[in-house]
Amino acid sequence: MVEVNHFKMAFEGKVVIEDLSFTVEKGEIFGLLGANGSGKTTTIRALLGLYQPTSGELLINGKKYNPEDTSVTVGYLPEERGLYRKETVIDTMVYFGDLKGVNNPREWSKKYLERVGLSDKIDEKVEKLSGGQQQKIQLGITIMGDPKLLILDEPTKGFDPMNRRLLMEIIEELHKKGTSIIMITHYMDEVERLCDRILLLKDGIACAYGTIAEVKKEFDGKSLDQIFVDTYGESYE
Amino acid sequence: MNNNIFKVARFEIVRQLKKPAFWAATLLIPLLIGVIYLISFISAQSVDTEVHFDEDTKVTITDEAGILADGTPFVVDVDKNDGIEMVKNGETDLYFYIPADFAESKKAEFYHISEGLEIFNNDGEILKMILSQNSAMRVDALDVVALTGDYEIIDNKLAKDGAESNALGKAIIPFAIGIVFFMFVALCGNRFLLTVVEEKENRISEMILTSISAKHLIIGKIIALLALGVVQIMALVIPVLILVFAKRDDALIAPILSIIEIDPVVIMLSVLLFMASAVFYAGVCVFVGSLVSTARDASSFIGPAIIAMVFPLYFMQMFMVEPNFIVQFFTYFPLSAPIALMLRSGFGTISTPEFCVGIAVVIVFAVLAIYLAVKTFQKNAINFNVVKPKWFRKH
Repeated sequence: MVEVNHFKMAFEGKVVIEDLSFTVEKGEIFGLLGANGSGKTTTIRALLGLYQPTSGELLINGKKYNPEDTSVTVGYLPEERGLYRKETVIDTMVYFGDLKGVNNPREWSKKYLERVGLSDKIDEKVEKLSGGQQQKIQLGITIMGDPKLLILDEPTKGFDPMNRRLLMEIIEELHKKGTSIIMITHYMDEVERLCDRILLLKDGIACAYGTIAEVKKEFDGKSLDQIFVDTYGESYE
Repeated sequence: MNNNIFKVARFEIVRQLKKPAFWAATLLIPLLIGVIYLISFISAQSVDTEVHFDEDTKVTITDEAGILADGTPFVVDVDKNDGIEMVKNGETDLYFYIPADFAESKKAEFYHISEGLEIFNNDGEILKMILSQNSAMRVDALDVVALTGDYEIIDNKLAKDGAESNALGKAIIPFAIGIVFFMFVALCGNRFLLTVVEEKENRISEMILTSISAKHLIIGKIIALLALGVVQIMALVIPVLILVFAKRDDALIAPILSIIEIDPVVIMLSVLLFMASAVFYAGVCVFVGSLVSTARDASSFIGPAIIAMVFPLYFMQMFMVEPNFIVQFFTYFPLSAPIALMLRSGFGTISTPEFCVGIAVVIVFAVLAIYLAVKTFQKNAINFNVVKPKWFRKH
């Protein structure tokens, strides 16, 4: 589903990713792990064409990502999140649904809002919603139209336990439907629960890559938390 | 049109049309501009009602009606054609022809070389002054007409090459298009500027750019902005046209309507210039919006561009006469070209080939501005704290 080959990224001469290669298989949940500034978000942005890689190739279904290519549907929940604050919930969702080519986005949005307990907010302006409610809207926009690839950058950041549980349910549902999922997270319990394989990045270099069992074996059976701490050691801010 | 461009355009149009602020701007700003124009028009008229009679002005009168007393200055025994020739040759500045049937027709004719638009030129009133002071006092129908001032002086402007001139009539439509452009800029500028800043300020760019390409997003937005601008302009122009039509026999409006000269080539080129200028202006604003990360920064950046755009207005006098180097510079410098071209078209100081070249410059730079806007947005869209130039960071 996703192929990253010898990806290198430098900003104004400063190398942030050095020769990174990995794959994400169809239908798997892939954990992209690492401390802040390790290059996770940069890798995802380059994969989605938001950054131009310095060298290497990043492919989805064998092609460079093109947001308007309907043969590859991608849902992306970025770390930096926002919505059109002055628009109503339904107008915002329908607009994104339209752009993603979702069939009948209004109906889809109504059903989703009902599921996440926001059906009474359908005609509210986004700015009137709480932070948690806005995150539900963003999540809805991300999963609209059952994407074949779902990329979640710190999806539970700022979520209360209820919303976190809801998100986990949704991820599991999509996984069952065959969606490939790349998840960036700092919560190792989520990784252990959900991920099939992981990649641990430090300063743009892959420190560990494989199934959770393989990675643990490589690090003498330590827990993922401990592996993370050992990898970053005192350098971790 | 790409389907996604249409979707963006529709979203942007609908959301703006729903905003009360959009309609407030649509209705209030034109009203305000109208009041300002009215005040300046009235004050200009009140200043120029007096007859200015320069002693150096050479005046010639043919009095076929015999209305003027013997010895009245300026009266010469020449026929009308000779009088007109005298104007063309420069032997006289103003030539008045009082026909033999003046008492019945109540019309005298006035010939002079056109000095441009002459909006408030009232040299024709000189004849009224002469007639009121020098009539033969025979107490007949002629004198009644002369003394009561109940007659019309037909103004015949001659171009410098001697042909008949209607500079004001020719200028009305190009200037009207220019005024509409100016209002378009005033009404839409802020919206153009902020259209992409919103995506960055609200952190939407990443989500949106993984749903649609930057090129289609920007083009869709520009189309929406132009369409909204057209709605606002129509909300202004249509009532004015209805008013003009309803009052077409009014003493103030009828003379203006009667002299309007429709030159299809000039009108077509003026409309083309308007469209190219609007797209160029939109492109520049969106480009500036793409460069910065907040609405405040955008306003600071666009200032110099707006000044460059309206700069020709400060040199208006130069545009009325044969173009010099400065006028030529403004004509082909992309930012000032729209207004410079509109002024020169209005004043009749630009040839059709020059006009076409100027429009081509605006079109090329409109495309370039949109291209740069797309590239800059692609590059800066997810840079939520766009690095500002050093000179800008100091402020």
